Amino acid sequence: MKTIAKTASGLRRYPLWLYAVLAVITLVGIGAWVYQLMNGHHVTDMSNATYWGINITMFMFFVGLSAGGLIVASSAHVFNIESFKKVALPAVITSTVCICLAAGYILVDLGSIERIFQMIITPNLVSPLVWDMTVIALYLVINILDIVWIVKGDERKVAVLSRVALPVAVLVHSVTAWIFSLQIGHMWYSAIMAPIFVVSALDSGMALLLLVLIALKARGMFSFSDALMKSLAGLLAVFVAIDAYLIGCELLTMAYPGGHEAAAFTVLTTGATAPFFWFEVIGGLAIPFLILVFSGNRGNKVLVAVSSVLIVLGVLCKRIWLLFTAFISPYAEPSPMVPDYQMAQCTFSPTGFGAFYAPTPPEYLILFGVIALGALGFMVLTGLLSKPKDSE
Amino acid sequence: MTHYGMLIDVGTCAGCNACTMACKYQNATPHGTYWCKVLSGERGTYPNAVQTVLPMSCQHCSNAPCVRVCPTGASHYDENGNVQVDYGKCIGCRMCMGACPYDARSFNWFDSAEHPYYEGFEQTPYEQMRAAEHPVGVVEKCVMCHGRTEEGKEPACVQTCITKSRWFGDLDDPTSELCKKIEEMGARPLKPELGTKPSVYYAGLVD
Repeated sequence: MKTIAKTASGLRRYPLWLYAVLAVITLVGIGAWVYQLMNGHHVTDMSNATYWGINITMFMFFVGLSAGGLIVASSAHVFNIESFKKVALPAVITSTVCICLAAGYILVDLGSIERIFQMIITPNLVSPLVWDMTVIALYLVINILDIVWIVKGDERKVAVLSRVALPVAVLVHSVTAWIFSLQIGHMWYSAIMAPIFVVSALDSGMALLLLVLIALKARGMFSFSDALMKSLAGLLAVFVAIDAYLIGCELLTMAYPGGHEAAAFTVLTTGATAPFFWFEVIGGLAIPFLILVFSGNRGNKVLVAVSSVLIVLGVLCKRIWLLFTAFISPYAEPSPMVPDYQMAQCTFSPTGFGAFYAPTPPEYLILFGVIALGALGFMVLTGLLSKPKDSE
Repeated sequence: MTHYGMLIDVGTCAGCNACTMACKYQNATPHGTYWCKVLSGERGTYPNAVQTVLPMSCQHCSNAPCVRVCPTGASHYDENGNVQVDYGKCIGCRMCMGACPYDARSFNWFDSAEHPYYEGFEQTPYEQMRAAEHPVGVVEKCVMCHGRTEEGKEPACVQTCITKSRWFGDLDDPTSELCKKIEEMGARPLKPELGTKPSVYYAGLVD
């Protein structure tokens, strides 16, 4: 009886209406997914030219978002940063939920999910997708063990696990990058893609973690000192700077020769994906960096929160331009393999990318359904595991 | 070992798309899916312009990027050195579509059994009969007319070509007509710089 009462009081830390709304969005999303299973991916706006859509965008996005949590939590032990240990639990919960969402987006994107077991029965060990499945599974197990041992207070086990967690976290983002960057025909084909994925995972993940911690503190569920916020925000500024630097290197290499990948560069800077590109450069990199570079601003909760939101949105825009620029300028060079109709009428509009891709209602319903399910998971986990007496 | 390959002479191809249609009849591919197609383009500026044609299909690479990235081994090399897709293993992740530098692959976005070929018309019994060959949710492409070559016939596109611009044969047999023609015409594969080692050669290409 006592456990039930404890569980109920934990869950009641969030308003009931929020559970209800999220449950409805989740159910609608599941409905849309069933509709897609019955009718085929025909109900999406994907095509043979744009064979991946918003699900894959969100997959990249959430793999990245899961980075911050695990990296902060394991750095606490690997580098013995005492202040980080206090936020280890909410950090790892965020990380766990995000990686589950990322895997979810892959599952709803598969054309024949009923044969998913083939990945295990007859895996092709040189396929980046098999690497991804393996590393994400490993990452998830590490996250769950981390939660269990942090809750039990088993410091020694957490310390050992953290030493494995850190390299696996780096690997998760690298493998996600390799799914794209090992495709010879596309503008993704670049050795620097994996480092870019790692660092943009670090900045968006850290930004999300800051938002989560600020929100949980406001609800009185976890403690989060201003000094810790200041030091995490400082780290965030460094990550943003490295991200901007690596993207700059990549773009210069793309654009400089003039031929080759310059077509993709044109689409990116002045074409259909330009709004996303410029939002990221200005809103997601320049403005947050200019805010967070001053130590005074890093202690200001509102400024840190605004910067974090901008960084998360900036990285979301980056996932969008990274994926779709490659479809809109399919190959490095003008190629007879690309029929003219594909290049025609491709401009940005609020609904999508003209003739290339404009997501349909079922796609959006699935997208929001997965997010809502993740939010529910996050609320349940933080509700049950938070100890209000921790709060200052 | 046999290694089936093809030679296409772009110089004599008239761009009539008879191969496109022969492929459609032979393989009953779904609406909007073309295992074989002829891309057209233009070169030069008026009044000195010419039209170009390029018959395209799976290049059946010996170092195929699609086979490399396929997570389940659905894309594989068959006994004739050609690339095939095992629909029973394909999970529809579409990774191979990105890996292919020749745009040769199509995904089955809908169930052919429920969609008549021509919208607004009834599905014919023949369409119904052959719909099962194209299951929904898998990636497919040219199979080098696997069924026909087993019976000792040439692929449909080769047999039907009105200008006799296509040759089919064994690349592993230097005495075959195919190998002799490739040498004689100085044919080369498309995008050789990518190192995919295609089994389809082209003569008369203008860069």
